[in-house]
Amino acid sequence: MIAFLGGCFASFGFFFLPVIEVKPNRLASGLPVGLLEIPGDMRYLLLFLLALTPVLLAFMGDRNRRGWALAAVGNLIVILTLYLPALAGSAYLVGAEALFEAGTRISNPRILSSAAIAFGLAGGGVVLFAGLLDLEGCGVPRLVRGLAGAVGALVVVAMLAGGTLDVYSIMVEYHSRGEALALRFLEHIVFVLVALAAGLIVGIALGLWASRDAKAEDAILYTVGIIQTIPSLALFGILLVPLARLGDLHFLSLARDWLLLAAIALAAALALRRLHTRLPERARQFSLVAVFILALIPLSLLAVLIIAFGFEVALTVLTTSELALLRSVTGLALILFLILISTGKRLDLERKLPQYRRWRFLPLFAAALGALLLLAQGAGRLLGNSELAELTIRDFGVSGIGTAPAIIALTLYSLLPLVRNTYAGLKNIDPAIIDSGKGMGFTAAQSFFRIELPLAFPVIMAGVRNAAISLVGIAAVASIIGAGALGDFILLGVNSTSIDQILLGTVPAVLLAVIMDAGLKVLESLLTSPGIRQA
Amino acid sequence: MIEFKDVIKEYPNGFRAVDNLNLTVRDGEICVLIGPSGCGKTTALRMVNRLIDVTRGEILINGQPNDEFEPEVLRRQIGYAIQQIGLLPHMTIRDNVAIVPRLLDWDEERVRQRVDLLLDMVGIDPGIQGDKYPRQLSGGQQQRVGVARALGADPPIMLMDEPFGAVDPITRAILQEEFLQIQQEVGKTIIFVTHDIDEAIYMGDRIALLRAGRLVQYDTPDDLLALPRDDFVREFVGTDRSLKRLHLISVRDSMMNNVPCCDDDATLQEVTACLDRHHSDSAFVVDAGNGKLLGWVERPALVEYGSLSEAMHHAPAASIAVPEDATAREALSVLLSHSFDLTPVIDAEGVLTGGVSIQRLQDLVEEPGIHAAMQRERGR
Ligand SMILES: Nc1ncnc2c1ncn2[C@@H]1O[C@H](COP(=O)(O)OP(=O)(O)OP(=O)(O)O)[C@@H](O)[C@H]1O
Ligand SMILES: [Mg+2]
Repeated sequence: MIAFLGGCFASFGFFFLPVIEVKPNRLASGLPVGLLEIPGDMRYLLLFLLALTPVLLAFMGDRNRRGWALAAVGNLIVILTLYLPALAGSAYLVGAEALFEAGTRISNPRILSSAAIAFGLAGGGVVLFAGLLDLEGCGVPRLVRGLAGAVGALVVVAMLAGGTLDVYSIMVEYHSRGEALALRFLEHIVFVLVALAAGLIVGIALGLWASRDAKAEDAILYTVGIIQTIPSLALFGILLVPLARLGDLHFLSLARDWLLLAAIALAAALALRRLHTRLPERARQFSLVAVFILALIPLSLLAVLIIAFGFEVALTVLTTSELALLRSVTGLALILFLILISTGKRLDLERKLPQYRRWRFLPLFAAALGALLLLAQGAGRLLGNSELAELTIRDFGVSGIGTAPAIIALTLYSLLPLVRNTYAGLKNIDPAIIDSGKGMGFTAAQSFFRIELPLAFPVIMAGVRNAAISLVGIAAVASIIGAGALGDFILLGVNSTSIDQILLGTVPAVLLAVIMDAGLKVLESLLTSPGIRQA
Repeated sequence: MIEFKDVIKEYPNGFRAVDNLNLTVRDGEICVLIGPSGCGKTTALRMVNRLIDVTRGEILINGQPNDEFEPEVLRRQIGYAIQQIGLLPHMTIRDNVAIVPRLLDWDEERVRQRVDLLLDMVGIDPGIQGDKYPRQLSGGQQQRVGVARALGADPPIMLMDEPFGAVDPITRAILQEEFLQIQQEVGKTIIFVTHDIDEAIYMGDRIALLRAGRLVQYDTPDDLLALPRDDFVREFVGTDRSLKRLHLISVRDSMMNNVPCCDDDATLQEVTACLDRHHSDSAFVVDAGNGKLLGWVERPALVEYGSLSEAMHHAPAASIAVPEDATAREALSVLLSHSFDLTPVIDAEGVLTGGVSIQRLQDLVEEPGIHAAMQRERGR
């Protein structure tokens, strides 16, 4: 049934919609060409007929054979949908002048992929999926199914790498903008990760607070909810003015003011603790709020500075080629650690191999050391050239436009899913479990890290995935305030009605979202105890 | 030893959940806290390991006030088991039992041995079940693990809040019996909360009956049943308290040794003489060789048939007799179902050792505290 639909879908596209558009130049509208309009040989007709076969195959009796047939056809449709129009396209380009009215400016004529290709890819994918479902029903091993499913994608990747598909204009764009794309992509990733990390710290803390304190509960949950409803553009705008002011400040004077503020807040907090019992109820509450706000100012200043600077440093570290060696060593150590921990759990090394217990965190220390070195190097690079007295906050990456407001806004947006899920995860733990832990002598910290966090972990991770995906999307908007990232391509594309540019920004973003989601899922299943994994 | 000294607990809302509690739990004894729902049992229990703070008064553990310890240090020395069990679902059974030993920084080898020992003790196979997770175990198995975990670091004191409350009655009975066996071995000082009077009578060395935060009566099970202090206690222990007391007495303690009985090769005269001597119309018949119970004989049948071998009723011993280690209550049940005046008692080999009569049981429950008196006598 699914295969039937997929086949219909693909052949519908091939029959009614253009597969490619031939454009005389970057701006002019193109000449749509349908699959069956392409002159010459029968191959194109064959693709159309191929797309029709699943409609018949769907009625085949033998499930095993049907599965294999559908998988093969699905893969083939995907491959040919990209390959054949590319062939035709190159042919068109050779004689491009003849296609257009005289007087049309022809410069860099190009082939635009068109709707039917999307239909073909989607339809082929559905057919493949139907085939894989059949194979799963017949008990074909997972690995074999995975390979069967990946054939088409692998061939497409090979064609991309081999230049077979270079005729499409998006590939043309890619080749001319590849380097910028890589950088923007990296920026995008770092944006999301930095905001996610900051959001995690704040979000888990807030979620924890909300779950413990019935009075704060509503206030926290409403606040993060409201933040989510502010349009991202407005949030960028709101942050613009104060951050611009902040950026102008000299580092030393700010540091002095900050220390002063922090000292006052600390002194006020200590004094309040002393006076607490002696103050009347009203005054107590009032002063509590006052101290809270007083403490919030230096804390948030510090956070802004750390986050914005962190982003700049991270980007420097990731893009500076001299650091490549250190970078890869650190990365390898981290990967080694992850492998060690995950296999160690699985194989129960802790009991079987006493050395494992002692050495398992070594790679992590190595990675941490490497990361520290990298950060120091990056920070040095950013600040190294200027005199201390002349350093402004802008040198730390804080200004009205650019990364600082973008990351702050992104962090704020990530809060809702993180706070809500942390809160829900912690609240949903059976109180008897926590009580029995306490009764056995867990300290509050041990109870949190060894009982509550592991139990709430899957729920928190769902929030992290949620936040990560939406951050990938919102980060694209940050380009408007000059923060870079993949949004640059999309904005450019929108401004010049160039679908290729838009796609060039969108496809990596979508891929990033998908990969992050999958990666976080894997991480979640590795770190979630089998005792609480959903059966 | 655990001592409550004038302990008062007032919750922040002003509610007094425990009111002036004085109670001493002796070493190696199970003290059962019982009372209607909301009477403050859980509150009293949780004050011992400082999960709840005492408002006034103090709780001494081996003579030392419990607020002189850091709460965590104190709790690691006191076993804690609750009705909801509260096994940590993300840890394996072994890791759950190992929690307190690990909190106390035992070395892994010692932890492993201890865990194996404990799981064996509560009837969980460490090899098969040890690496499973709590949700893969049945409710009864989880309760066992809960008990094993409370015994984790061999604490001298255990607090148990309705530990067998969440399982079906049959499993509960098994767990109770097994736990008493374990207690015979380990001899912990235990405070055990329940609202089931039968459980209290079966498990408790002493029972503390609470009502609205106050201690109403603190006595051995037998004394509580025999001498209820007031109507509240009488009502609480139930109108069948006589039956319950029978439950506390073993057949061995309540049987008469001198019962009418004759060998299977006895002559008519011998049998008649025996019946006359006991002023009875029936006698048990035992194997002349090994003394095993074979059946019984009645006077009218003897007269009719003229010989023992023809007159006697053969019956498998198990169907008419009660074993020595059964409770008096079981003996009563056999008496009622066979309409005997006297039910025979046999030992493990099936040898007749005595008999129990309705009259005898009646005497027992009428005499206040006789069981306790008997035990005291035997102890001397
Ligand atoms: N945190 C609290 N604040 C106010 N009152 C409380 C609190 N906890 C318990 N109480 C009250 O104290 C009384 C004793 O509670 P406790 O839990 O000790 O009863 P219990 O004897 O264990 O009852 P049950 O057999 O139902 O478990 C109850 O009336 C209860 O409502
Ligand atoms: Mg209770």
